[in-house]
Amino acid sequence: MIVAEQKSLEEIRRMIDSYGRVLILGCGTCVTVCDAGGEREVSFLHNALRVAQARSGNGAHTFSEYTLKRQCDPEFLDMLTGRVEDVDAILSLGCGIGVQAVAERFSDLPVLPGVNTSFMGMPKEWGIWDERCAACGDCRLGDTAGICPITRCTKGILNGPCAGTKNGKCEASKDMDCAWVLIYKRLEGLQQLENMRRYYPPRNFRAIPRPKRIVSKAIIDVGGENE
Amino acid sequence: MYSSVTDDTQNRRDRQTKRLSVDRSLMPPCQAACPLHMDIREYVDLTAQGRIMEALQVIRNGNPFPSICAYVCTHPCEDACRRCQVDKPIAVRALKRFAVEFGGDRMIQSEAETTRGEKVAIVGSGPAGLACAYYLRKLGYPVTIFEAHSELGGMLRVGIPQYRLPREVLDTEVQRLTQMGVEIRTNTRVVSLDLLFDMGYKAVFVTIGAHQGLRMEIEGEESPGVIDGATFLREVNLGLKPSLGRKVAVVGGGNVAVDAARTALRLGVPNVKILYRRSRAEMPASDIEVEQALEEGIDVRFLVAPTRIKRKNGRLSVTCVRMELGEPDARGRRQPVPIKGSEFNKEFDTLIVAIGQAPQTPGGFGVRMGRGSTIQADPITLTTNRAGVFAGGDAVSGPATVVEALAAGRLAASRIDDYLQRRYPLGDKETRQRLSGDLLLETIEMIRKVGRLELPTLSPEARSKDFKPVELGYSWEAAINEARRCLRCGMGAEILFQDKCATCLTCLRVCPYHVPHLDASGTIQIPDDQCQACGVCVAECPAKAIVLRKPYDRRQITEELDHALKSAAQSNLKPLIIGFCCQYGLFGTGALAGLWRGAKAGIWIVPVLCTAKVEADHMLRAFEMGAEGVFIAGCGEQCARENTDFWVRQRVEKARRILAQIGLEPERLQAFVSTTTNGGDPAEELDRFAERMGNLYLASIIMQEVRS
Amino acid sequence: MSNSSFEEKLSSDKFLVTTEIGPPKGTDTSEMIHHIDLLKDKVDAINVTDGQSSVMRFASLGGCLLVKESGGEPILQVTCRDRNRLAIQADLLVAYSRGITNVLCLTGDSIDVGDHKEAKPVFDLDSVQLLRMIRTMESGTDMGGNELKGAPKFCIGASVHPEADFIEPQLLKFDKKVAAGAQFFQTQGIFDLGSLRRFMQYASQFDVRTLAGIIVLASARMARYMNDNVPGIIVSQPVIDELASVEKGKGLQKGIEIAAGLIRTIKEEKLCHGVHIMAVGNEGVVPDILEAAGLVDVHV
Repeated sequence: MIVAEQKSLEEIRRMIDSYGRVLILGCGTCVTVCDAGGEREVSFLHNALRVAQARSGNGAHTFSEYTLKRQCDPEFLDMLTGRVEDVDAILSLGCGIGVQAVAERFSDLPVLPGVNTSFMGMPKEWGIWDERCAACGDCRLGDTAGICPITRCTKGILNGPCAGTKNGKCEASKDMDCAWVLIYKRLEGLQQLENMRRYYPPRNFRAIPRPKRIVSKAIIDVGGENE
Repeated sequence: MYSSVTDDTQNRRDRQTKRLSVDRSLMPPCQAACPLHMDIREYVDLTAQGRIMEALQVIRNGNPFPSICAYVCTHPCEDACRRCQVDKPIAVRALKRFAVEFGGDRMIQSEAETTRGEKVAIVGSGPAGLACAYYLRKLGYPVTIFEAHSELGGMLRVGIPQYRLPREVLDTEVQRLTQMGVEIRTNTRVVSLDLLFDMGYKAVFVTIGAHQGLRMEIEGEESPGVIDGATFLREVNLGLKPSLGRKVAVVGGGNVAVDAARTALRLGVPNVKILYRRSRAEMPASDIEVEQALEEGIDVRFLVAPTRIKRKNGRLSVTCVRMELGEPDARGRRQPVPIKGSEFNKEFDTLIVAIGQAPQTPGGFGVRMGRGSTIQADPITLTTNRAGVFAGGDAVSGPATVVEALAAGRLAASRIDDYLQRRYPLGDKETRQRLSGDLLLETIEMIRKVGRLELPTLSPEARSKDFKPVELGYSWEAAINEARRCLRCGMGAEILFQDKCATCLTCLRVCPYHVPHLDASGTIQIPDDQCQACGVCVAECPAKAIVLRKPYDRRQITEELDHALKSAAQSNLKPLIIGFCCQYGLFGTGALAGLWRGAKAGIWIVPVLCTAKVEADHMLRAFEMGAEGVFIAGCGEQCARENTDFWVRQRVEKARRILAQIGLEPERLQAFVSTTTNGGDPAEELDRFAERMGNLYLASIIMQEVRS
Repeated sequence: MSNSSFEEKLSSDKFLVTTEIGPPKGTDTSEMIHHIDLLKDKVDAINVTDGQSSVMRFASLGGCLLVKESGGEPILQVTCRDRNRLAIQADLLVAYSRGITNVLCLTGDSIDVGDHKEAKPVFDLDSVQLLRMIRTMESGTDMGGNELKGAPKFCIGASVHPEADFIEPQLLKFDKKVAAGAQFFQTQGIFDLGSLRRFMQYASQFDVRTLAGIIVLASARMARYMNDNVPGIIVSQPVIDELASVEKGKGLQKGIEIAAGLIRTIKEEKLCHGVHIMAVGNEGVVPDILEAAGLVDVHV
């Protein structure tokens, strides 16, 4: 799922500096799972901001807390309508999607991001999250034995490996596995090395023009036929 | 346009708050098994925290005569205790005794005043009668106890030997009733209930016990030298010293038989045997009694029963036959069957018959009798066939236990009250769910194995000489350590707010006991019968969907912290240091308990029930309210729960990261662990910490001065 | 194929010698020009590196122009790290128009190892795709399928890593590069001739020319540093020890010795088709190496 990391307290304090009444808004889905912006983190951030305020002596802010099940659905945003009357800014701990959704709905309120949305990934174990998917829109995991070369190879190349691999690790970091070594070994195990001998032409980056839209419903002419 | 969801979020929050104040703990097996439904888990936990006086209060709330149970209760709670599945059950009775003695139960005065006009008569002053008198008196009724013997107590007085229940203990308990204004008429045998009603009593509770010894119905039973067990014990307890000769046999396998044998020993009989017709497994006497009897040198012969007694040369010649166990009877107990041709003769000076007792109900009572000469009474209302006549205790059930009699007495009081006030006798409605289910092997594996501390006893040689109490009490440390073994059944974690749960699997991953799991529909379940109530998942759940079942556990740290901060603010000692200290550990019960009294200036202790529950939020709040330094002191390796130190350190690191960004030195927040095992002295570490905080505080004062 | 003198030499039996020059970090090209002049007549071609180790420097295309202007034979290095397919094709059209027709196609080092760690890594293409792209351009169309008004012709090469610890994937890649049209290969630094021999046993089945990469080390510390930080370099322990055994100040001399020794052996035993000398900042000593290796007379 979407994995995010809370911004540093210093950065958050700078962002909220000019706003008096701040609503700290959490999200109950992805950022709860990765422990960056759920109800607990909302409460913790609230406490941290209060300590900071108490220690620095200038008590300019008053904080309120609320957590929505999700920030990225309009129906959930409806539940905020009564709560933003006495608020000068919303500090959203939702992912970038949530921040934008809240900002669009409450366009006359400044909406500030409290977390850095980092990647789509999964936990290795409690407390450790790894990136797995870059949403390239052109999934070819079938060719690479289920290991994504776009996310797990630091260069994201399709005809790997490069010459920088050493001891199965990437040149960019000794902690990172060389994805292509992993792919080779797994293809070997599946007896599908042919996949790696094949030439892969350059990626179609048109798959991700920004901002992208997927229309999953059929467009139907009222009174006419399906398109 | 999107359709809007009904905005009842405020209602939702209100409902949440209400739910949070409800006790959602499950009734543990110990409480369910206790006839009095004592809140055993509660007082054991208080003992583990070193709060003995409060533990005693909990005990007294459920039991009017705790000292008696402390000595002689048969502890069905211990048999039901789930710790049995791990190692040995919690020694509840021993802990109760510790609370009673350490807490000074005998100092506690009981008071009552008369607010009602209806007089109630209680016939018989055994535990049922005493309990009924106590509760009726508390309700304001004038109560009179009629007791045939010269002293109150029933079987407690005449049946249980003094090495098990010392005289002073019983006297003190009985005194309470006098203090409360119960009228006591000893040496008064009631033969007619009509007379009582004529005297103006509006209700009568018949609780005459079961004192009539059953007969073996064999030839020669009338011979001199053959005495009834219950009678024997009564005589000894009333001060007589019957001469028994040098060789005594006791027939029977219940507590009366064992008591009789051990009493005979203490009267100086060198050779005492018990003859029982079934085997050890079927012996109804409690295990520990039999153990102690064997230790004292009493010989128990199983699968043996007398068939004929002859008097010969001033002694008894008893013909016995060997038995074997045959088919089970209607109640499932295997019937003993004599083995033909296996007769043998033995000579004894005295034969004590203790094969059972039955009530001796005078015909003048006019109550219907049932099986085994017991009085028939309705199990819910305790009424008999006569209006206004209630019955309970051994007189109704046959010989049973003290605690069952106490429960019957308490029930009788409320039923008599219903009757006199013309209320509908509603059944007892226990709304709390009972905990069921055994511990899984996986859970048992993770639970730290700590052996049960048995009550120390006098050595067999020392104790068989006289009637001094056999059991010695626990020391302070023994009691605390024993109480800490409790698994806290039914007060663990539950996912109260299922709608908040994102199924992030954090609780599943962090639980040291691997308790939360995914069910078939992919929902997280936290089985209440496996949870060890450590509190880790509660503190780590990113959605705050999990709570502890007891409201006290939920609020405790926040309330205690606020309280400490208030006191600190009033006293204004600087530097202010807040210490979250485990109540179960050094600070609560051990070497540093003195810190409780604010013995060190500026240090305020927030007692917590295990540091695993202290969250980073709590640490920050202390700093917000002006603390210069915060420390967390846990039990380290001695912690009864797993992994707690790891979590404390995780949260300390999290809070330190924030401190660093605010310009507070991370060293202001420290985790101390109970260092009894690794050699450091916690008092010294704490001193050093306090000194350092003092320096930082002075430095900050100076900086402020310099700036201004 | 284009008619470069380098390309002609590729099809001859000559023992090839190439070297590389690292451009400056700045506009001052005096030292680079000096090295070009020093070496242009002593080697068969000169590579100009392109942002090697992801350190921002004067572009390879510019360096190649200087080589060409001074009468040398340049090899343009193109990495995929900094430019997308449009930019690379555009640069190649310029290169061809200025007579730069030898191209070494590289994927490029990752941004993290360089000095602009926050830059956006492009990697629109990888080395194999780049080789194919060039062949496509040569056929008269660009990558978008559009007709070119004037098609280039290049002599293209790639790199290979015979000393990789896990060789199979590297061989797979090598095959792909050959199939994509690579004519020559310059290897990563060779220190262990055994691995070179094994690789050549496999590579000799293909009609490509392989030049063994020879790195000039100046000290044990430099060797260790390169081991840890420079992608694709694995310096063996015996070599490090040899460098450590000499006294301070004599390291470079030792490095020259080691390099020359390797080159001599390679030439004598005809292990491969030539060498590519990487002096890594010490371009000035390349003539000494050539002399020590007995290659002085082998030149244009």
